[in-house]
Amino acid sequence: MPEIHKELPAINASNRPYWEAARRHELVMYGCCCGALYSHVTECTACGKPDMKWVRVSGRGEVFTFCVYRQAFHPAWKNDIPYNIAYVKLDEGPILISNIVGCDNKDIYIGMPVEVVFEDITDEVTLPKFRPVR
Amino acid sequence: MSIRDKYAFAGVGLTQLGRLPEMTPDELATRAIKLALEDAGLRPDDVDGYIYQGGIGGGSSDTVPLQMTGVPAAMVWQVTSLGSYANVAVAMAIGAMESGLCNTCILLHASSATSRRSIVPAGAVGNTPGAYGWYGPGTTAACMARRFMHLYGLTREQLGAVALTLREYANKRPEAIMHDRRITMDDYLNARMVIEPLCLYDFCLVNDGAVALIITSAERARNLRKPPVYVMGYGMDHSLRKVGKSPEAIHHFDGFVTEKAAQQAFGMAGITIKDIDVAEFYDAFTIFLLSQIESYGFCGRGEGGAFVAAGNLKPGGQLPANTSGTSLSWGYLMGFTQLTEGIRQMRGEGGECQIKDAEICLVTGLGGMVDNGSAANCCILRR
Repeated sequence: MPEIHKELPAINASNRPYWEAARRHELVMYGCCCGALYSHVTECTACGKPDMKWVRVSGRGEVFTFCVYRQAFHPAWKNDIPYNIAYVKLDEGPILISNIVGCDNKDIYIGMPVEVVFEDITDEVTLPKFRPVR
Repeated sequence: MSIRDKYAFAGVGLTQLGRLPEMTPDELATRAIKLALEDAGLRPDDVDGYIYQGGIGGGSSDTVPLQMTGVPAAMVWQVTSLGSYANVAVAMAIGAMESGLCNTCILLHASSATSRRSIVPAGAVGNTPGAYGWYGPGTTAACMARRFMHLYGLTREQLGAVALTLREYANKRPEAIMHDRRITMDDYLNARMVIEPLCLYDFCLVNDGAVALIITSAERARNLRKPPVYVMGYGMDHSLRKVGKSPEAIHHFDGFVTEKAAQQAFGMAGITIKDIDVAEFYDAFTIFLLSQIESYGFCGRGEGGAFVAAGNLKPGGQLPANTSGTSLSWGYLMGFTQLTEGIRQMRGEGGECQIKDAEICLVTGLGGMVDNGSAANCCILRR
């Protein structure tokens, strides 16, 4: 039976800078001259004269909410059960879907301070994840 | 001019619910349409409009069910609004009839979810959430429940009260998938966790089945076989409107955004929430139902758990709700589960779950994702 791989991110022309930065172990957000920051490519909805570029962020934030999978909904995740999905609110504002690593699921809580770590998955893909701030 | 009471539901056709691998979605749809026509006392050529949702969990294919029933509809609309589409279809049908596009319209939902297993999308070309192991709306429901626990002290027992209340209704409804399966609070608390903090009983059913609803002018409905169920009003909201200068506000883990839907629907109907005798909330997950009790104003923010645990959704409670057991215990037909039961309550066809003297019913829908924007809508029915 062929090995079932985990899915890889949907990398395309517009979000490539995000994934290239992750490859360099840097976390970037899509920001406007007015200060608004977005986790995805978009026109700024906060100001009348959007001027968008990718900007590096601190990589610090806190757990906004999270859950723990006790059942695999994709076969490649079977051996990871139980694993968590967290929505991390960056200090700069945007909220990202990620995983909390480096601690037990039972120790995760809403408001937990976390910082980004980078998990190299393939030669091209690195996933930003988060660990508790020590 | 108001559309209040100008249009009414005249026919309901419901197939068996459950695991029906021998029937295609088109066959299920065909059966539902035939049953609805018979229920209303209409011939196929009395219908000139058709609105259906395609593609979710293996839906019906375009006009095949019309060809199989001989319905010569001139207006055929496909909608894709996820769990919010029943009320979207109501608004579309009434808009169409109001503007003369059709006179009598079938609203259809057919799904073959168990045999196709297509609820979870397969992201062959890259799936960023999937790369983190994120699969499906259960994730967002679990994360919403976690927020409610953090913000308001919501307990698993309170979520369990939602599941048990709906199961008790379903136990009294012969066609409910969970008709014969009773659960206790111990069963709930010891159930298999699926995505913590949610367990098996916090998730809706996944099943096959179809329902066809016929809506027409109130005048015509009054001359048909069954008592008309009038549409008093409807409304639409979307969390998108909260975004403005705060892009992360597209998330609404702290409660659904339904205020505009309520304002519009109650405004059209000329009533207040105090006039609602029975409600059918969209309940893909226990927490979704609970959040809407709060967002529609039947109790204060953060009070939904205690409201349900006090028995208020049961017969005789402040707000009898989800009276067939709906998506959690009766059967999942997207938002059509709730609309169908709302119509039946207004006809007095609720069987052992009929709410005595109920005259006005609120039916809600939700569509989209808690983490990326969702539509909320409702309609108000009366007998």
